[in-house]
Amino acid sequence: MNEIVRKDFPNLERVIDGKKLCYLDNASTSQRPKKVVDATIKYYTQMNANVHRGVYHLSQEATDAFESVRGKIERFIGASSEREIIFTKGTTESINLIASSYGEHHINKGDVIAVTRMEHHANFVPWQQLAKRKGARFEIIELTSDLRLDPKEVDRVLALRPKIVAVSLLSNVTGVVNPISSLAARFKMVGSVVVVDAAQGIAHGEVTIERLGPIDFLAFSSHKLCGPTGVGILWGREALLEKMPPYQVGGNMISHVGDFDSEWNELPHKFEAGTPDIAGVIGFGAAIDYIETQGRVRIESYEAKITEYVLDELKNVPGVRLLGPAEVHHRAPIFSVAIEGVHAHDLATFLDMQGISVRAGHHCAHPLMMKLGLPATCRASFSFYNNMEEAAIFIQALKDSQVFFARKVKPTPITQAQGKRGIV
Amino acid sequence: MSYRDVFGEILADHYESPRNFGKIDHPTKVEQGYNPLCGDQVAVSVLVKDAESACPMIDQCSFEGEGCSICLASASMMTELVKGHSREEALQLIEAFRQKMQGAENVPGLPSDTSEEDLVALYGIRRFPVRIKCALLAWTTLKKALDA
Repeated sequence: MNEIVRKDFPNLERVIDGKKLCYLDNASTSQRPKKVVDATIKYYTQMNANVHRGVYHLSQEATDAFESVRGKIERFIGASSEREIIFTKGTTESINLIASSYGEHHINKGDVIAVTRMEHHANFVPWQQLAKRKGARFEIIELTSDLRLDPKEVDRVLALRPKIVAVSLLSNVTGVVNPISSLAARFKMVGSVVVVDAAQGIAHGEVTIERLGPIDFLAFSSHKLCGPTGVGILWGREALLEKMPPYQVGGNMISHVGDFDSEWNELPHKFEAGTPDIAGVIGFGAAIDYIETQGRVRIESYEAKITEYVLDELKNVPGVRLLGPAEVHHRAPIFSVAIEGVHAHDLATFLDMQGISVRAGHHCAHPLMMKLGLPATCRASFSFYNNMEEAAIFIQALKDSQVFFARKVKPTPITQAQGKRGIV
Repeated sequence: MSYRDVFGEILADHYESPRNFGKIDHPTKVEQGYNPLCGDQVAVSVLVKDAESACPMIDQCSFEGEGCSICLASASMMTELVKGHSREEALQLIEAFRQKMQGAENVPGLPSDTSEEDLVALYGIRRFPVRIKCALLAWTTLKKALDA
Protein backbone atom coordinates (compact mmCIF):
# COMPACT_ATOMS: atom_id res chain seq x y z
CA MET A 1 0.00 0.00 0.00
CA ASN A 2 2.77 2.35 0.83
CA GLU A 3 4.52 3.48 -2.36
CA ILE A 4 1.63 5.86 -3.02
CA VAL A 5 1.13 6.60 0.67
CA ARG A 6 4.79 7.60 1.11
CA LYS A 7 4.36 10.49 -1.30
CA ASP A 8 1.92 12.04 1.20
CA PHE A 9 4.73 12.42 3.76
CA PRO A 10 7.24 15.05 2.63
CA ASN A 11 9.70 14.20 5.40
CA LEU A 12 10.16 10.63 4.14
CA GLU A 13 12.00 12.11 1.14
CA ARG A 14 14.78 13.44 3.32
CA VAL A 15 18.38 12.47 2.72
CA ILE A 16 20.74 12.81 5.67
CA ASP A 17 24.50 12.68 5.05
CA GLY A 18 23.85 11.05 1.71
CA LYS A 19 21.66 8.33 3.24
CA LYS A 20 17.96 8.06 2.59
CA LEU A 21 15.99 8.55 5.79
CA CYS A 22 14.68 5.26 7.17
CA TYR A 23 12.34 6.43 9.93
CA LEU A 24 11.71 3.60 12.39
CA ASP A 25 10.79 5.58 15.49
CA ASN A 26 7.05 5.68 14.94
CA ALA A 27 6.35 4.52 18.48
CA SER A 28 7.84 7.83 19.67
CA THR A 29 5.95 9.92 17.17
CA SER A 30 4.66 9.39 13.66
CA GLN A 31 5.41 11.47 10.61
CA ARG A 32 2.64 13.79 9.39
CA PRO A 33 1.09 13.77 5.95
CA LYS A 34 1.00 17.08 4.09
CA LYS A 35 -2.78 17.28 4.49
CA VAL A 36 -2.42 17.50 8.27
CA VAL A 37 0.17 20.26 8.05
CA ASP A 38 -2.00 22.09 5.49
CA ALA A 39 -5.02 21.94 7.80
CA THR A 40 -3.12 23.60 10.65
CA ILE A 41 -1.74 26.25 8.28
CA LYS A 42 -5.22 26.89 6.92
CA TYR A 43 -6.50 27.57 10.43
CA TYR A 44 -3.76 30.11 11.14
CA THR A 45 -3.91 31.83 7.77
CA GLN A 46 -7.62 31.83 6.98
CA MET A 47 -9.62 31.28 10.14
CA ASN A 48 -7.54 32.39 13.07
CA ALA A 49 -9.82 33.29 15.98
CA ASN A 50 -10.51 31.91 19.44
CA VAL A 51 -13.16 29.23 19.91
CA HIS A 52 -16.36 29.28 22.03
CA ARG A 53 -16.03 33.05 22.55
CA GLY A 54 -16.70 35.49 19.77
CA VAL A 55 -20.05 36.42 18.25
CA TYR A 56 -18.31 37.25 15.00
CA HIS A 57 -18.08 35.15 11.87
CA LEU A 58 -14.43 34.14 12.13
CA SER A 59 -14.80 32.84 15.67
CA GLN A 60 -17.84 30.82 14.65
CA GLU A 61 -15.86 29.27 11.77
CA ALA A 62 -13.01 28.36 14.11
CA THR A 63 -15.46 26.95 16.66
CA ASP A 64 -17.20 24.86 13.99
CA ALA A 65 -13.90 23.52 12.64
CA PHE A 66 -12.70 22.73 16.17
CA GLU A 67 -15.94 21.12 17.35
CA SER A 68 -16.34 19.08 14.17
CA VAL A 69 -13.19 17.20 15.18
CA ARG A 70 -14.92 16.13 18.38
CA GLY A 71 -17.56 14.48 16.24
CA LYS A 72 -14.90 12.81 14.11
CA ILE A 73 -13.23 11.36 17.21
CA GLU A 74 -16.60 10.23 18.56
CA ARG A 75 -17.27 8.26 15.35
CA PHE A 76 -13.64 7.08 15.07
CA ILE A 77 -13.74 5.29 18.42
CA GLY A 78 -17.47 4.64 18.46
CA ALA A 79 -18.30 6.72 21.55
CA SER A 80 -21.96 7.31 22.44
CA SER A 81 -21.78 11.09 22.54
CA GLU A 82 -19.53 14.05 21.85
CA ARG A 83 -19.92 14.83 25.54
CA GLU A 84 -17.58 11.91 26.22
CA ILE A 85 -14.71 13.30 24.12
CA ILE A 86 -12.35 15.61 26.02
CA PHE A 87 -9.43 17.35 24.37
CA THR A 88 -6.22 17.30 26.39
CA LYS A 89 -2.62 17.95 25.48
CA GLY A 90 -1.77 14.27 25.21
CA THR A 91 -2.12 10.80 26.69
CA THR A 92 -0.11 11.83 29.74
CA GLU A 93 -2.49 14.66 30.58
CA SER A 94 -5.51 12.45 29.89
CA ILE A 95 -4.32 9.89 32.43
CA ASN A 96 -3.34 12.54 34.95
CA LEU A 97 -6.82 13.98 34.59
CA ILE A 98 -8.41 10.63 35.51
CA ALA A 99 -5.99 10.05 38.39
CA SER A 100 -6.53 13.56 39.77
CA SER A 101 -10.22 14.01 39.17
CA TYR A 102 -11.67 10.51 39.47
CA GLY A 103 -8.89 9.01 41.57
CA GLU A 104 -8.63 11.77 44.12
CA HIS A 105 -12.34 11.45 44.99
CA HIS A 106 -12.88 7.72 44.74
CA ILE A 107 -9.75 6.18 46.19
CA ASN A 108 -9.44 5.71 49.92
CA LYS A 109 -6.86 4.31 52.28
CA GLY A 110 -6.44 0.57 51.80
CA ASP A 111 -8.05 0.47 48.33
CA VAL A 112 -6.19 -1.35 45.59
CA ILE A 113 -4.97 0.31 42.39
CA ALA A 114 -3.48 -2.03 39.80
CA VAL A 115 -1.27 -1.51 36.75
CA THR A 116 0.84 -3.90 34.70
CA ARG A 117 4.59 -4.36 34.48
CA MET A 118 4.62 -3.23 30.85
CA GLU A 119 3.16 0.25 31.38
CA HIS A 120 4.72 3.41 30.01
CA HIS A 121 5.57 5.88 32.79
CA ALA A 122 2.49 7.88 31.72
CA ASN A 123 0.23 5.04 32.83
CA PHE A 124 2.32 4.05 35.83
CA VAL A 125 3.50 7.09 37.74
CA PRO A 126 0.10 8.87 38.05
CA TRP A 127 -1.35 5.70 39.68
CA GLN A 128 1.70 5.04 41.82
CA GLN A 129 1.56 8.60 43.14
CA LEU A 130 -2.21 8.49 43.67
CA ALA A 131 -1.75 5.32 45.73
CA LYS A 132 0.99 7.01 47.71
CA ARG A 133 -1.13 10.09 48.42
CA LYS A 134 -4.12 8.05 49.50
CA GLY A 135 -2.37 5.26 51.36
CA ALA A 136 -3.81 2.84 48.80
CA ARG A 137 -2.22 -0.46 47.83
CA PHE A 138 -0.38 -0.36 44.50
CA GLU A 139 -0.28 -3.69 42.68
CA ILE A 140 1.67 -4.60 39.56
CA ILE A 141 0.45 -7.40 37.31
CA GLU A 142 3.62 -9.28 36.36
CA LEU A 143 4.47 -10.78 32.97
CA THR A 144 5.32 -14.17 31.51
CA SER A 145 8.79 -14.93 30.14
CA ASP A 146 7.72 -13.71 26.70
CA LEU A 147 6.52 -10.48 28.34
CA ARG A 148 2.77 -10.97 28.01
CA LEU A 149 0.41 -10.52 30.95
CA ASP A 150 0.72 -13.57 33.20
CA PRO A 151 -2.76 -15.14 33.58
CA LYS A 152 -1.90 -16.22 37.16
CA GLU A 153 -1.01 -12.64 37.99
CA VAL A 154 -4.26 -11.40 36.49
CA ASP A 155 -6.13 -13.87 38.73
CA ARG A 156 -4.15 -12.78 41.77
CA VAL A 157 -4.93 -9.10 41.21
CA LEU A 158 -8.59 -9.79 40.33
CA ALA A 159 -8.99 -11.44 43.72
CA LEU A 160 -7.89 -8.16 45.33
CA ARG A 161 -10.86 -6.39 43.68
CA PRO A 162 -8.95 -3.27 42.62
CA LYS A 163 -10.87 0.00 42.51
CA ILE A 164 -8.92 0.99 39.40
CA VAL A 165 -7.01 -1.12 36.90
CA ALA A 166 -4.89 0.74 34.34
CA VAL A 167 -3.54 -1.19 31.39
CA SER A 168 -2.10 -0.38 28.00
CA LEU A 169 -3.64 -1.73 24.83
CA LEU A 170 -0.20 -2.22 23.36
CA SER A 171 3.26 -2.07 24.92
CA ASN A 172 5.53 0.63 23.57
CA VAL A 173 8.58 -1.48 24.44
CA THR A 174 7.65 -4.96 23.26
CA GLY A 175 4.75 -4.39 20.90
CA VAL A 176 2.67 -6.89 22.92
CA VAL A 177 -1.07 -6.49 22.34
CA ASN A 178 -3.16 -7.03 25.47
CA PRO A 179 -6.55 -8.80 25.38
CA ILE A 180 -8.38 -5.73 26.69
CA SER A 181 -11.98 -6.86 26.13
CA SER A 182 -11.64 -10.07 28.14
CA LEU A 183 -9.59 -8.32 30.83
CA ALA A 184 -12.11 -5.49 31.07
CA ALA A 185 -15.02 -7.94 31.33
CA ARG A 186 -13.35 -9.78 34.20
CA PHE A 187 -12.34 -6.64 36.08
CA LYS A 188 -15.82 -5.17 35.68
CA MET A 189 -17.16 -8.27 37.45
CA VAL A 190 -15.20 -7.31 40.56
CA GLY A 191 -16.21 -3.66 40.33
CA SER A 192 -13.01 -2.12 38.95
CA VAL A 193 -12.90 1.03 36.87
CA VAL A 194 -10.89 0.08 33.77
CA VAL A 195 -8.51 2.66 32.27
CA VAL A 196 -6.94 1.88 28.88
CA ASP A 197 -3.82 3.63 27.63
CA ALA A 198 -4.06 3.45 23.84
CA ALA A 199 -1.18 5.82 23.07
CA GLN A 200 0.47 3.07 21.01
CA GLY A 201 -2.60 0.99 20.29
CA ILE A 202 -4.50 3.73 18.49
CA ALA A 203 -1.97 3.65 15.63
CA HIS A 204 -2.12 -0.09 15.01
CA GLY A 205 -5.58 -1.31 14.20
CA GLU A 206 -9.22 -0.56 14.66
CA VAL A 207 -9.59 0.77 18.19
CA THR A 208 -13.23 1.22 19.14
CA ILE A 209 -15.02 1.19 22.47
CA GLU A 210 -17.07 -1.74 21.28
CA ARG A 211 -13.99 -3.82 20.50
CA LEU A 212 -12.31 -2.86 23.78
CA GLY A 213 -15.27 -4.11 25.81
CA PRO A 214 -16.61 -2.71 29.07
CA ILE A 215 -13.86 -0.18 29.70
CA ASP A 216 -14.42 3.15 31.48
CA PHE A 217 -11.67 5.44 30.23
CA LEU A 218 -9.53 5.55 27.10
CA ALA A 219 -6.54 7.84 26.54
CA PHE A 220 -4.52 8.50 23.39
CA SER A 221 -2.52 11.17 21.57
CA SER A 222 -2.80 12.79 18.17
CA HIS A 223 0.90 12.73 17.39
CA LYS A 224 1.23 8.96 17.19
CA LEU A 225 -1.58 8.86 14.66
CA CYS A 226 -0.15 11.28 12.08
CA GLY A 227 -1.64 14.31 13.85
CA PRO A 228 0.08 17.32 15.45
CA THR A 229 1.86 17.14 18.81
CA GLY A 230 0.25 18.71 21.87
CA VAL A 231 -3.21 17.21 21.39
CA GLY A 232 -4.66 14.20 23.13
CA ILE A 233 -8.02 12.63 23.84
CA LEU A 234 -9.66 11.41 26.97
CA TRP A 235 -12.76 9.35 26.44
CA GLY A 236 -14.81 8.44 29.49
CA ARG A 237 -18.26 7.04 30.15
CA GLU A 238 -20.63 9.98 30.46
CA ALA A 239 -22.05 8.85 33.80
CA LEU A 240 -18.56 8.82 35.33
CA LEU A 241 -17.47 12.11 33.76
CA GLU A 242 -20.65 13.79 35.03
CA LYS A 243 -19.78 12.91 38.62
CA MET A 244 -16.14 13.95 38.38
CA PRO A 245 -14.95 17.36 39.58
CA PRO A 246 -12.96 19.57 37.17
CA TYR A 247 -9.27 18.87 36.69
CA GLN A 248 -8.25 22.46 36.08
CA VAL A 249 -10.33 25.55 36.69
CA GLY A 250 -10.41 28.87 34.86
CA GLY A 251 -11.73 30.07 31.53
CA ASN A 252 -14.17 28.12 29.30
CA MET A 253 -14.92 25.45 31.91
CA ILE A 254 -17.31 27.58 34.00
CA SER A 255 -21.00 28.37 33.58
CA HIS A 256 -21.13 31.00 36.32
CA VAL A 257 -18.48 32.63 38.48
CA GLY A 258 -19.57 34.38 41.64
CA ASP A 259 -17.40 36.15 44.18
CA PHE A 260 -17.09 33.16 46.44
CA ASP A 261 -18.09 30.16 44.37
CA SER A 262 -18.45 29.02 40.78
CA GLU A 263 -20.48 26.59 38.75
CA TRP A 264 -19.07 24.33 36.07
CA ASN A 265 -19.79 24.24 32.39
CA GLU A 266 -21.36 21.07 31.01
CA LEU A 267 -19.46 18.14 29.48
CA PRO A 268 -17.05 18.08 27.80
CA HIS A 269 -16.12 21.73 28.46
CA LYS A 270 -15.97 21.16 32.21
CA PHE A 271 -12.61 19.48 31.60
CA GLU A 272 -11.25 21.93 29.03
CA ALA A 273 -10.00 24.98 30.88
CA GLY A 274 -8.29 27.70 28.86
CA THR A 275 -7.76 28.17 25.13
CA PRO A 276 -7.04 24.78 23.57
CA ASP A 277 -4.54 23.96 20.82
CA ILE A 278 -7.06 24.90 18.13
CA ALA A 279 -4.73 24.41 15.16
CA GLY A 280 -3.56 21.10 16.63
CA VAL A 281 -7.09 19.80 17.07
CA ILE A 282 -8.03 20.84 13.52
CA GLY A 283 -4.86 19.10 12.27
CA PHE A 284 -5.84 16.01 14.23
CA GLY A 285 -9.18 16.05 12.45
CA ALA A 286 -7.31 15.97 9.13
CA ALA A 287 -5.20 13.09 10.44
CA ILE A 288 -8.32 11.10 11.36
CA ASP A 289 -9.68 11.71 7.84
CA TYR A 290 -6.37 10.55 6.41
CA ILE A 291 -6.29 7.36 8.48
CA GLU A 292 -9.92 6.60 7.58
CA THR A 293 -9.04 6.98 3.89
CA GLN A 294 -6.22 4.47 4.27
CA GLY A 295 -8.48 2.19 6.27
CA ARG A 296 -7.58 0.89 9.69
CA VAL A 297 -8.18 -2.75 8.79
CA ARG A 298 -5.97 -2.37 5.73
CA ILE A 299 -3.26 -0.71 7.84
CA GLU A 300 -3.41 -3.54 10.36
CA SER A 301 -3.07 -6.29 7.79
CA TYR A 302 -0.23 -4.47 6.01
CA GLU A 303 1.63 -4.00 9.30
CA ALA A 304 1.17 -7.68 10.11
CA LYS A 305 3.17 -8.48 6.96
CA ILE A 306 6.02 -6.27 8.13
CA THR A 307 5.87 -7.88 11.58
CA GLU A 308 6.01 -11.35 10.08
CA TYR A 309 8.95 -10.44 7.89
CA VAL A 310 10.97 -8.85 10.70
CA LEU A 311 10.23 -11.71 13.12
CA ASP A 312 11.35 -14.24 10.50
CA GLU A 313 14.51 -12.36 9.61
CA LEU A 314 15.51 -11.70 13.21
CA LYS A 315 15.76 -15.45 13.71
CA ASN A 316 18.69 -15.40 11.28
CA VAL A 317 20.62 -12.69 13.09
CA PRO A 318 22.77 -14.39 15.73
CA GLY A 319 23.31 -12.72 19.10
CA VAL A 320 20.12 -10.65 18.91
CA ARG A 321 17.67 -10.84 21.78
CA LEU A 322 14.17 -9.75 20.82
CA LEU A 323 11.97 -8.69 23.72
CA GLY A 324 8.47 -10.09 23.71
CA PRO A 325 6.67 -12.84 21.84
CA ALA A 326 7.91 -14.21 18.52
CA GLU A 327 4.41 -14.84 17.13
CA VAL A 328 2.90 -12.25 14.85
CA HIS A 329 -0.63 -12.40 16.27
CA HIS A 330 0.43 -11.26 19.73
CA ARG A 331 2.25 -8.13 18.66
CA ALA A 332 2.47 -4.93 16.67
CA PRO A 333 5.49 -3.92 14.52
CA ILE A 334 7.52 -2.65 17.47
CA PHE A 335 10.81 -4.48 17.98
CA SER A 336 13.08 -3.91 20.97
CA VAL A 337 16.36 -5.66 20.52
CA ALA A 338 19.46 -6.12 22.62
CA ILE A 339 22.64 -7.30 20.96
CA GLU A 340 25.15 -9.11 23.10
CA GLY A 341 28.20 -6.97 23.73
CA VAL A 342 26.81 -3.88 21.99
CA HIS A 343 25.32 -1.06 24.04
CA ALA A 344 21.97 0.19 22.75
CA HIS A 345 23.27 3.72 22.30
CA ASP A 346 26.28 2.60 20.31
CA LEU A 347 23.94 0.54 18.15
CA ALA A 348 21.60 3.49 17.66
CA THR A 349 24.47 5.75 16.60
CA PHE A 350 25.65 3.05 14.18
CA LEU A 351 22.14 2.75 12.72
CA ASP A 352 21.86 6.55 12.52
CA MET A 353 25.03 6.54 10.42
CA GLN A 354 23.10 4.39 7.92
CA GLY A 355 20.19 6.86 7.99
CA ILE A 356 18.06 4.63 10.25
CA SER A 357 16.22 6.44 13.06
CA VAL A 358 15.52 4.20 16.03
CA ARG A 359 15.00 4.85 19.72
CA ALA A 360 17.61 3.70 22.21
CA GLY A 361 17.09 3.77 25.93
CA HIS A 362 14.54 2.67 28.47
CA HIS A 363 11.50 3.82 26.44
CA CYS A 364 9.91 5.49 29.50
CA ALA A 365 9.34 2.06 31.01
CA HIS A 366 11.80 1.85 33.92
CA PRO A 367 9.74 -0.68 35.90
CA LEU A 368 9.86 -3.14 32.98
CA MET A 369 13.50 -2.54 32.09
CA MET A 370 14.64 -2.92 35.70
CA LYS A 371 12.75 -6.19 35.96
CA LEU A 372 14.46 -7.43 32.79
CA GLY A 373 17.83 -6.24 34.07
CA LEU A 374 18.38 -4.26 30.88
CA PRO A 375 19.63 -0.68 31.12
CA ALA A 376 18.60 0.05 27.55
CA THR A 377 17.44 -1.52 24.31
CA CYS A 378 17.26 -0.38 20.73
CA ARG A 379 13.72 -0.14 19.41
CA ALA A 380 12.61 -0.10 15.79
CA SER A 381 8.93 0.70 15.35
CA PHE A 382 7.20 0.62 11.98
CA SER A 383 4.19 2.39 10.57
CA PHE A 384 1.99 1.75 7.54
CA TYR A 385 4.16 4.08 5.45
CA ASN A 386 7.29 2.06 6.05
CA ASN A 387 8.09 -0.46 3.34
CA MET A 388 9.69 -3.89 3.18
CA GLU A 389 12.86 -2.35 1.80
CA GLU A 390 13.24 -0.40 5.05
CA ALA A 391 12.62 -3.54 7.08
CA ALA A 392 15.38 -5.25 5.07
CA ILE A 393 17.74 -2.29 5.60
CA PHE A 394 17.13 -2.55 9.35
CA ILE A 395 17.85 -6.29 9.43
CA GLN A 396 21.00 -5.90 7.34
CA ALA A 397 22.22 -3.09 9.59
CA LEU A 398 21.76 -5.29 12.66
CA LYS A 399 23.91 -7.94 11.00
CA ASP A 400 26.54 -5.37 10.04
CA SER A 401 26.59 -3.94 13.54
CA GLN A 402 27.98 -7.16 14.92
CA VAL A 403 30.98 -6.95 12.64
CA PHE A 404 31.30 -3.26 13.38
CA PHE A 405 31.34 -3.69 17.13
CA ALA A 406 33.31 -6.94 17.34
CA ARG A 407 35.79 -6.55 20.22
CA LYS A 408 37.76 -8.48 22.76
CA VAL A 409 37.47 -7.09 26.25
CA LYS A 410 40.64 -7.24 28.29
CA PRO A 411 40.55 -4.93 31.32
CA THR A 412 43.90 -3.70 32.58
CA PRO A 413 44.81 -3.66 36.28
CA ILE A 414 44.41 -0.55 38.39
CA THR A 415 47.70 1.24 38.77
CA GLN A 416 48.93 3.70 41.34
CA ALA A 417 49.83 7.29 40.64
CA GLN A 418 53.38 7.62 39.41
CA GLY A 419 54.04 10.94 41.03
CA LYS A 420 53.11 13.10 38.07
CA ARG A 421 52.26 16.65 38.89
CA GLY A 422 50.96 19.65 37.03
CA ILE A 423 48.08 19.83 34.66
CA VAL A 424 48.30 18.17 31.23
CA MET B 1 33.54 -0.37 7.98
CA SER B 2 34.51 -1.05 11.56
CA TYR B 3 34.17 0.73 14.87
CA ARG B 4 37.85 1.66 14.55
CA ASP B 5 37.25 3.34 11.18
CA VAL B 6 34.63 5.65 12.65
CA PHE B 7 35.70 6.21 16.23
CA GLY B 8 39.41 5.57 15.90
CA GLU B 9 41.93 3.18 17.40
CA ILE B 10 42.31 5.07 20.68
CA LEU B 11 38.62 5.02 21.61
CA ALA B 12 38.32 1.38 20.58
CA ASP B 13 41.36 0.50 22.67
CA HIS B 14 40.02 2.19 25.82
CA TYR B 15 36.63 0.56 25.28
CA GLU B 16 38.14 -2.89 24.82
CA SER B 17 40.75 -2.52 27.53
CA PRO B 18 39.38 -0.03 30.02
CA ARG B 19 42.14 1.26 32.30
CA ASN B 20 41.62 1.35 36.05
CA PHE B 21 38.46 -0.72 35.82
CA GLY B 22 37.43 -2.11 39.19
CA LYS B 23 37.51 -1.26 42.86
CA ILE B 24 40.36 0.29 44.78
CA ASP B 25 41.14 -0.68 48.34
CA HIS B 26 39.94 1.76 51.00
CA PRO B 27 38.76 4.52 48.68
CA THR B 28 38.27 7.98 50.15
CA LYS B 29 35.06 8.29 48.20
CA VAL B 30 32.92 6.25 45.83
CA GLU B 31 30.38 8.21 43.83
CA GLN B 32 27.62 6.84 41.60
CA GLY B 33 26.77 8.45 38.29
CA TYR B 34 23.67 7.61 36.31
CA ASN B 35 22.35 8.81 33.04
CA PRO B 36 18.64 8.04 33.18
CA LEU B 37 18.13 8.66 29.48
CA CYS B 38 20.40 5.90 28.23
CA GLY B 39 20.88 3.79 31.33
CA ASP B 40 24.63 4.37 31.56
CA GLN B 41 25.83 3.83 35.10
CA VAL B 42 29.31 4.32 36.51
CA ALA B 43 30.80 4.21 39.97
CA VAL B 44 33.96 6.29 40.31
CA SER B 45 36.29 5.62 43.24
CA VAL B 46 39.07 7.91 44.39
CA LEU B 47 41.82 7.56 46.95
CA VAL B 48 42.87 11.03 48.03
CA LYS B 49 46.15 11.44 49.90
CA ASP B 50 46.77 14.29 52.34
CA ALA B 51 43.03 14.95 52.29
CA GLU B 52 43.29 17.40 55.17
CA SER B 53 46.28 19.27 53.74
CA ALA B 54 46.24 22.40 51.61
CA CYS B 55 46.94 20.31 48.52
CA PRO B 56 45.09 16.98 48.59
CA MET B 57 46.43 14.59 45.93
CA ILE B 58 44.61 11.95 43.93
CA ASP B 59 46.58 8.79 44.48
CA GLN B 60 44.22 6.38 42.76
CA CYS B 61 41.11 6.64 40.66
CA SER B 62 39.08 3.78 39.23
CA PHE B 63 35.67 3.15 37.78
CA GLU B 64 33.16 0.38 37.33
CA GLY B 65 29.88 0.25 35.54
CA GLU B 66 27.92 -0.38 32.44
CA GLY B 67 27.55 1.89 29.53
CA CYS B 68 28.15 2.55 25.91
CA SER B 69 31.60 2.59 24.34
CA ILE B 70 31.92 6.36 24.59
CA CYS B 71 30.97 6.45 28.26
CA LEU B 72 33.40 3.66 29.18
CA ALA B 73 36.30 4.87 27.02
CA SER B 74 35.93 8.36 28.43
CA ALA B 75 35.89 7.05 32.01
CA SER B 76 38.99 5.02 31.27
CA MET B 77 40.90 8.03 29.93
CA MET B 78 39.77 10.18 32.82
CA THR B 79 41.08 7.80 35.48
CA GLU B 80 44.48 7.81 33.78
CA LEU B 81 44.60 11.57 33.51
CA VAL B 82 43.68 12.62 37.03
CA LYS B 83 45.94 10.28 38.92
CA GLY B 84 48.87 12.02 40.50
CA HIS B 85 47.22 15.39 40.22
CA SER B 86 46.00 17.58 43.02
CA ARG B 87 42.30 17.72 43.74
CA GLU B 88 42.27 21.31 42.50
CA GLU B 89 43.97 20.41 39.22
CA ALA B 90 41.55 17.56 38.66
CA LEU B 91 38.55 19.84 39.18
CA GLN B 92 40.04 22.31 36.69
CA LEU B 93 40.56 19.52 34.18
CA ILE B 94 36.97 18.32 34.61
CA GLU B 95 35.65 21.82 34.01
CA ALA B 96 37.91 22.33 31.00
CA PHE B 97 36.81 19.01 29.47
CA ARG B 98 33.14 19.87 30.06
CA GLN B 99 33.59 23.19 28.27
CA LYS B 100 35.45 21.55 25.40
CA MET B 101 32.78 18.88 24.90
CA GLN B 102 30.07 21.50 24.98
CA GLY B 103 31.63 23.28 22.05
CA ALA B 104 34.33 25.62 23.38
CA GLU B 105 37.55 25.92 21.37
CA ASN B 106 41.12 26.32 22.67
CA VAL B 107 40.27 25.56 26.27
CA PRO B 108 43.32 26.18 28.48
CA GLY B 109 44.57 23.14 30.36
CA LEU B 110 43.47 20.63 27.74
CA PRO B 111 45.50 18.93 25.02
CA SER B 112 45.14 20.79 21.69
CA ASP B 113 43.18 19.24 18.83
CA THR B 114 46.40 18.20 17.12
CA SER B 115 48.00 16.71 20.23
CA GLU B 116 48.60 12.97 20.37
CA GLU B 117 47.06 12.62 23.82
CA ASP B 118 44.34 9.94 24.02
CA LEU B 119 41.80 12.48 25.25
CA VAL B 120 41.79 14.18 21.83
CA ALA B 121 40.01 11.11 20.45
CA LEU B 122 36.95 12.10 22.49
CA TYR B 123 36.74 15.55 20.92
CA GLY B 124 35.37 13.87 17.79
CA ILE B 125 32.27 12.83 19.73
CA ARG B 126 31.13 16.43 19.52
CA ARG B 127 29.77 15.62 16.09
CA PHE B 128 27.22 13.33 17.80
CA PRO B 129 25.55 15.90 20.07
CA VAL B 130 23.31 13.38 21.83
CA ARG B 131 26.35 11.37 22.84
CA ILE B 132 28.21 14.20 24.58
CA LYS B 133 26.54 13.38 27.86
CA CYS B 134 27.88 9.82 27.52
CA ALA B 135 31.40 11.21 27.36
CA LEU B 136 30.78 13.48 30.36
CA LEU B 137 29.17 11.02 32.78
CA ALA B 138 32.33 9.76 34.52
CA TRP B 139 33.71 13.28 34.73
CA THR B 140 30.67 14.78 36.42
CA THR B 141 30.65 11.79 38.76
CA LEU B 142 34.28 12.38 39.72
CA LYS B 143 33.48 16.05 40.30
CA LYS B 144 30.77 15.03 42.77
CA ALA B 145 33.25 12.72 44.51
CA LEU B 146 35.83 15.50 44.81
CA ASP B 147 33.35 18.19 45.81
CA ALA B 148 31.92 16.16 48.65
